[in-house]
Amino acid sequence: MSEPLLSVRDLKTQFFTEDGTVRAVDGISFDVHEGEIVGLVGESGAGKSVATSSILRLVDSPGEIVGGEIEFKGETIFGLETGDDGELRPRDEMLTEQEMREQIRGREIAIIFQDPMESLNPVFTVGGQLREFIEINRDLDSDEAKKEAIDMLREVGIPAPESRYDEYPHQFSGGMRQRVLIAMALACQPDLIIADEPTTALDVTVEGEILEMVTDLQERYDTSFVWVTHDMSVVAEICDRVNVMYLGEIIEQAEVNDLFYDTKHPYTTALLDSMPRPDRTVDELRPIEGVMPEAIDPPAGCRFHSRCPEARKVCREVHPEPRDLSEESEAIHAAACVKHDAFDVGYDESQPIDTQAGGGFSAGLTETGGDAE
Amino acid sequence: MGLLRYTLWRVAQAIPVLVGIITITFFLANQIPGDPVEIMLGPSPAQGQVEAIRARYGLDRPAYERFLTYLSGVVTGDLGRSIYYDRPVLEMILLRLPVTLYLTVSAFLFAIVTAIPLGVISAKRRNKPADHVSRIVSLIGVSTPSFWIGLMLIIVFAFHLGWFPARGLPLPWASPADIRGAETQLQVVWTSLHHLAMPMVALGTLQMAQITRIERSSMVESLQGEYVKLARAYGVSESKIARKHAFQVAQLPVITIIGLGLSTALGGAVLTETVFEIPGMGRLIITAINNQDYELIMGTTFMFGVAFVVGVIVTDIAYAYIDPRVAYGEET
Amino acid sequence: MATETDTPTDTPANTEGTGAGEIEARVGLRYTLRQVRRDTTARIGIYTIGFITVVAVLASIDHYVFGYGVAEAIWYSPVQDPEQVERLLPPVGMENQFGQGTLEHPMGTDHRGRDILGRLFYGTRIAITVGFMATAIGLIGGTLIGAISGYYGGWIDDVLQRFTETIYAIPFLVLVIAFMTAFGRNLTFAMVGVGITSVPVFNRLIRSRVVSVREEDYIEAARAAGVKDRNIIFRHVIPNSFAPVLVQATLQIGVSILIVAGLSFLGFGAQPPTPSWGQMLSASRNYMLPAPTFSIFPGIAILITVIGFNILGDGLQDALDPRINN
Repeated sequence: MSEPLLSVRDLKTQFFTEDGTVRAVDGISFDVHEGEIVGLVGESGAGKSVATSSILRLVDSPGEIVGGEIEFKGETIFGLETGDDGELRPRDEMLTEQEMREQIRGREIAIIFQDPMESLNPVFTVGGQLREFIEINRDLDSDEAKKEAIDMLREVGIPAPESRYDEYPHQFSGGMRQRVLIAMALACQPDLIIADEPTTALDVTVEGEILEMVTDLQERYDTSFVWVTHDMSVVAEICDRVNVMYLGEIIEQAEVNDLFYDTKHPYTTALLDSMPRPDRTVDELRPIEGVMPEAIDPPAGCRFHSRCPEARKVCREVHPEPRDLSEESEAIHAAACVKHDAFDVGYDESQPIDTQAGGGFSAGLTETGGDAE
Repeated sequence: MGLLRYTLWRVAQAIPVLVGIITITFFLANQIPGDPVEIMLGPSPAQGQVEAIRARYGLDRPAYERFLTYLSGVVTGDLGRSIYYDRPVLEMILLRLPVTLYLTVSAFLFAIVTAIPLGVISAKRRNKPADHVSRIVSLIGVSTPSFWIGLMLIIVFAFHLGWFPARGLPLPWASPADIRGAETQLQVVWTSLHHLAMPMVALGTLQMAQITRIERSSMVESLQGEYVKLARAYGVSESKIARKHAFQVAQLPVITIIGLGLSTALGGAVLTETVFEIPGMGRLIITAINNQDYELIMGTTFMFGVAFVVGVIVTDIAYAYIDPRVAYGEET
Repeated sequence: MATETDTPTDTPANTEGTGAGEIEARVGLRYTLRQVRRDTTARIGIYTIGFITVVAVLASIDHYVFGYGVAEAIWYSPVQDPEQVERLLPPVGMENQFGQGTLEHPMGTDHRGRDILGRLFYGTRIAITVGFMATAIGLIGGTLIGAISGYYGGWIDDVLQRFTETIYAIPFLVLVIAFMTAFGRNLTFAMVGVGITSVPVFNRLIRSRVVSVREEDYIEAARAAGVKDRNIIFRHVIPNSFAPVLVQATLQIGVSILIVAGLSFLGFGAQPPTPSWGQMLSASRNYMLPAPTFSIFPGIAILITVIGFNILGDGLQDALDPRINN
């Protein structure tokens, strides 16, 4: 395959709080190719949003990117090297803060935030905000930018965009505001758009409309997306490839069909079982048992073992890194679970352990988890 | 639609409050012990003189009747006659009111002009030295009595350095003939500003400190807003975020505080006028009280209330101007 | 009947205890104290207030401790004695036209030859008493009005709110002056007057809490279970508003001290010969040129006291609402 548009390698972002260091993103790697929609899926607290703000280098204090590499179109957004004094320091080719602001943010990588109600500034007109960002990122003058803004509002399905241009955010519904934010992202003509749970705050019907619109626009503009969500049905609808995150790590990475039909990680299985699926009839949905542990003190071994129905003793001891488990001719399908033979750490001989998941749950899992083996 | 309608609605809302102020002042004035007529006429008035004066000022009629008369008087712009000075109350007030407004408005301008940059810098450099200095200054500012600041300014800048005059406050639009040493209008303005400096600082310091504190916390919150994150993600520079995106939203609580601070400032004007011997509304009400001048006490108290209500309406309109959500009817 | 009202009272209390257990723990007195102890600035505030309060208590119970100066402060006749003016001494180590400061009067003497330090000590009594009492009056009045207003709504709410708005519309100091002119120019009415001016502040605070809490399930449950309205307000709504009220009350004590100092300065506070800081400042006005220290010290006393309450108030706010603090 060609060079990826965005390449993230072993990214680590940590928050230095009074209670200790929170390893919000703990060594994730993934690529986004041109024209692709890549999903980033996981429960809240898995580190998805921190990962996306790391890509733009907009992690709020006390958070900090502490390691890894982010490359975008050959530019180094983040990269460290060891200096003469043995300390880590930013590499020379790493973009400065000013270069990030002037060349990357908005211009090359745009973002759509989760909460359309809060993301627009309440005291400025919708059009004014759009126009400002277009002016900054496309070097247009004020009149051209306004024309572009109105066109873009029409494009995302806002009726009477000329008059709505002068209205304030509170005069727009949630779905309409999200359309504005999408228009904002597209209007800057970036190569990559990061969508951080953009439909979570919306009604299901509105969500459907927006997803349809995005798929449509994505085809026309050929923009790449990183789509963050916790909702597997959204993933199924729009993503090409998916990264599943758990506690700051990517635990499974696959093309969307492989992920759904050839699930390789028990956590992904559990996520899939917790949502209704049109292609499968089940008696009841199974919510994932327990809560995700704190990223400040992640469990040893496999981080999911405390909730995993298939956990064995070895899962407490061995920390698996994702490995490609696909056949040679197939697309990459990586997973981080020692139950697969490729890991060869003695899973089969290890004793099952009691987890919060309980018996009934694990019995249900074998049906899907079983054929993955 | 929009601002004009909001303004009218806001003015209409103020009417019951004004009636309430009249009621309260009338009730209080009615409670005052002692007899103003006696004070006026001295210890042994001539026969029948007391009754005549009572009848003239309506003091012989029952309270509710006098209240209704007073109320209808206020509506037609008649605040009664000062018993002590035997002059219309409104006339006396109109002579003094400009001085107090001049002082109070200047104090607020001083406060706003100094406090907003201080608060913004504080918020942007949170927990850095500049922030600590600004926080300590504003903490001292809200804890210091304004009249004491006045005394200290007089000791240092009037008595020892001789930079500013210690008393009086001529208005900038006064006639040059009335001001000693002034021949042109420009000199009058200069004399006025020269006199204004110290009382303005004395009265404005508390407001400055309060506005700085609000500006800081409001900016801190605004800088953490989602819309600021969005602006950052679209490559807007930090200085533009502080000047525009975060700033405008952050001014909303500041405007509210300025409106409420009017109450403290108008009360503080009484003290400042005392310290600097400025013949304004504050001195007028104190004189009225010392003379037990009913009508004048009621009139000045009412006027103070009106000044505050008008001030709050103005700040509310400013709020609605900045925040479109108010004028476009989320609250109406 | 008695048992019928007793039993349901327990039900909402239990619901609250279990359902909102964590919230309960976060608003309680013990939680507050623990948070404050961790906050350095709040601690400085507590020490300052503690110091001033101890001084005030000492001044109240044993004025002999301060000897000559205080005794004279209390007993000296207010009648003007021109000869005494000669005794307006500067602080120790300084000199002015009236003479040299002595150790006997470390801050000098006033225009009647009274020890300034002694009178400052004595002035703490007025400041602390008035600060606490006025705030207590405002707190009780405002809480009652706010709770009744917010809980019942309708015309009761309208009438009470218009009333407090009107009080608020007259500038504090003017209102208190008018109030004292009407009822009496002494310390008691100064406290009541200043208390009244803070009624709207507490009213607004409590009312908004009541209005939002009124809709909550456990209040509905309590009402459905037949608990009296009065009990709901006093046992559930008001205790739940503890934190913001505490912060506001602490700040309000500082404000009250400032207002009362201003009143005394205008001659509306404690009447001579009872020493108060504001009144000392008022007297000092005639001696600003020959004896500036006479004006300086009382102001510093006010400043330190009020700063104490403001620091504590800020510290409490930070401790109780970490969101604002960062």
